[in-house]
Amino acid sequence: MAVSKTTLKTLFGVYGVIHRQTLLLPSTLRCSVILSSRSIYERDYRRPGQPPDTRWPWQKIQFDFSKGVEGIKKHIGLLKDEFVQRWTGPEGRPLIDHMLEQTRVQWEFRGPESLSQWVVSSDQEIGGRSEAYIKLGKNNTTCMLYGTLCSTPPRDGETRYSGYCTLRSKQPLASFDRKKYYDWSSFNTLHMRIRGDGRPWMVNMSAETFFSHQRDDIYSYFLYTRGGPYWQDVKIPFSKFFLSSRGRIQDDQHVLWLDKVKSIGFTLGDKADGPFQLEIDFIGLCSDLAHTEEFAYELYKRNPEV
Amino acid sequence: MSQSDYHMHYIITNYFEVYFLGSFQYICNSSAVVCDVIIMNAPRQLLRIQCIGCIARILGKPVQRVILPTGAHLQTPGSQHNYGQLLRPFHCSAVCSTSRPSRTQLEKTVEDETLNKDKSLVTHDDLFERAARDSKTKADFNRVVDVFSKKDIRRRGHVEFIYAALKKMPEFGVERDITVYNKLLDVFPKEVFMPRNFIQRMFNHYPRQQECGVQLLEQMENYGIMPNVETKVLLAQIFGEKSHPMRKYQRIMYWFPKFKHANPFPVPHVLPSDPVELARFSLTRIADDLDAKITIYQYPSTDITETGEEVMRPHIVGIQSPNQRSLLAKHNPCRPVFVEGPFPLWLRKTCVHYYLLRADPVPSEEKVEEEFDPEMMGPEQSLFYPQRLDLDLERDMGDDFRFDVDDVEEGPVYAMCMAGQADQVTLSQWISGLQETCPILGQIPTVFRLDSGPRELQTTSDAQQTPEQEVETDQITEEEPLHSQRVKQ
Repeated sequence: MAVSKTTLKTLFGVYGVIHRQTLLLPSTLRCSVILSSRSIYERDYRRPGQPPDTRWPWQKIQFDFSKGVEGIKKHIGLLKDEFVQRWTGPEGRPLIDHMLEQTRVQWEFRGPESLSQWVVSSDQEIGGRSEAYIKLGKNNTTCMLYGTLCSTPPRDGETRYSGYCTLRSKQPLASFDRKKYYDWSSFNTLHMRIRGDGRPWMVNMSAETFFSHQRDDIYSYFLYTRGGPYWQDVKIPFSKFFLSSRGRIQDDQHVLWLDKVKSIGFTLGDKADGPFQLEIDFIGLCSDLAHTEEFAYELYKRNPEV
Repeated sequence: MSQSDYHMHYIITNYFEVYFLGSFQYICNSSAVVCDVIIMNAPRQLLRIQCIGCIARILGKPVQRVILPTGAHLQTPGSQHNYGQLLRPFHCSAVCSTSRPSRTQLEKTVEDETLNKDKSLVTHDDLFERAARDSKTKADFNRVVDVFSKKDIRRRGHVEFIYAALKKMPEFGVERDITVYNKLLDVFPKEVFMPRNFIQRMFNHYPRQQECGVQLLEQMENYGIMPNVETKVLLAQIFGEKSHPMRKYQRIMYWFPKFKHANPFPVPHVLPSDPVELARFSLTRIADDLDAKITIYQYPSTDITETGEEVMRPHIVGIQSPNQRSLLAKHNPCRPVFVEGPFPLWLRKTCVHYYLLRADPVPSEEKVEEEFDPEMMGPEQSLFYPQRLDLDLERDMGDDFRFDVDDVEEGPVYAMCMAGQADQVTLSQWISGLQETCPILGQIPTVFRLDSGPRELQTTSDAQQTPEQEVETDQITEEEPLHSQRVKQ
């Protein structure tokens, strides 16, 4: 095809067009329908108790020329960067740095544009009453996640538990909205500088998977905050992260593969109603040479079949 | 065990079940046989023991020492506490006692309900409500469960009853009690839901009951309660070894011990009720310094003044470490110190508030470089006990584990406190108490930055704060004579 699908998307400012299986469409229409397709798993979240979105694809198109032009500029700029940065090294950093570095700062909050890489959500998505907001701390040097938790479940007949909030980083995107992954294979520890209020949080990392069954695979570990006015350095080795899917810890465990990491997230769900706050200074990676453990949990088959 | 053995075994069991159902419990209780290996292969061993006990009774011999084919040893009647109820007969529950106490109101209600089924509808929730109108205790809960179990040998409606009981547990205050969960699990009839052939094993035998068992275990998991061996035996008797509830039990037993001690700052389940002790615990937690010392400036007390009014004096507990004290001693008296608060601190489900005494960060142009005293290092200093050591022996020459990030500029924290009341009077009392150990506080202007609600820890003052500061600088002149007065006292 002469024009790629994301260019078409940006030109017409189309977001969230869903592909519907219609074999009787004429060939031209079929082209555009196939161009803008999202699989059944990538669709927008459907809140429990709400009817599904049954609009036709053409009803979801929204034309916006200026947005389209901005989009084109941004993506072509990113594409140019990708070609030019290869000459200095991976992702624009000199090759010698990439090879010899022992620490890397992945996320730091030094300006308002750093907040756009993060997504905050709470159980208001499922109809609960918790609130979570994100803002920059004083002097624009830290990120402050604050809000209130409320664990009364929404009365929709399906949900039994409620009262959580999450802060998740967006997946890094290359030019034309192609997915990019973090490559952390030279590190083995996650280092965070945070200041919490004594609540137990959970760090969730998601990696790129091959099979669609692994879509909701998340590697998690606990983040216990001490509270108080002093900053807390938290170091969690990647071997401690256990595998869970849709909130349920899995029987077959394996170590998190660091070569294709999609995102990191923090979640709070400790059933204590009330305000919470978490301040993050930076999130970095380091390679702890003294830590030789590959995986903290047993790998043998624990629940043999009947 | 071979097929023929199994069939024979089965027939014997059924035979005894039909003829000895009533007195089965009596026989088993009187024999009181305990098996050591029962935990390993619970259902099989249980069936065998019951059979052997019955056979022994029939033959007239007391069961003294019987060695089972698998080599399990049956001991003479001895302790029977936990394992006594393992010898429950088929379909009967442990609480089926031979004596008939006087019928309580609750039992009458239940019997009325069964007799007049078409006339009224008594839900299982109502049973719990009627049992305890004024106070809801564990004994009441147990009583309701007993009444339900005794009512019907087949336990009709046990799934709904168990769901209702699980919902009512927090009201009765028994949601953290493993014995109550085991008692509730006991409501299930035993060995009915165990699959007997491969078809039943394939097709999720009795799915509703299995889901109910899983929900019971899930409530236990939610409250963080560890199941015990009695739970396992009950689950094995009710559902069998490879059922969903048993699998869930195995998962709980695998993961809970792994994460039990994952918290580097553990908080006990039962916090001290005394506010001074609670303040002491939380201040030592947030001080992050083992040298920090707690000082109790005022204990909570109620005074009656001359006019007859009651004056509540709140508790004031403060903490300061030697590092903080030395920093305060070096503070420039021209710059003010701020009393900030209240900041929230969560300990499990309780939120306490603390206050800080801190200063703004010194701008770089005014920073005084600490002079390196050449006398600290030199030939006259000891090589084995140096005052100051500049070597970083953990690192290799090429290693650099620093992060390429600017440090967050924050002012030093000089002291922390927790007080019963969040007003300026109480905190001024704290400052004056601090002054006894840090006399420089008398010359430093103190500004109170108190907020009604909890808010973030500030780093530097910004434009919004300057009008507040201007208001408070007027108060500073009032503060100073106040301080000096207190010192004189």
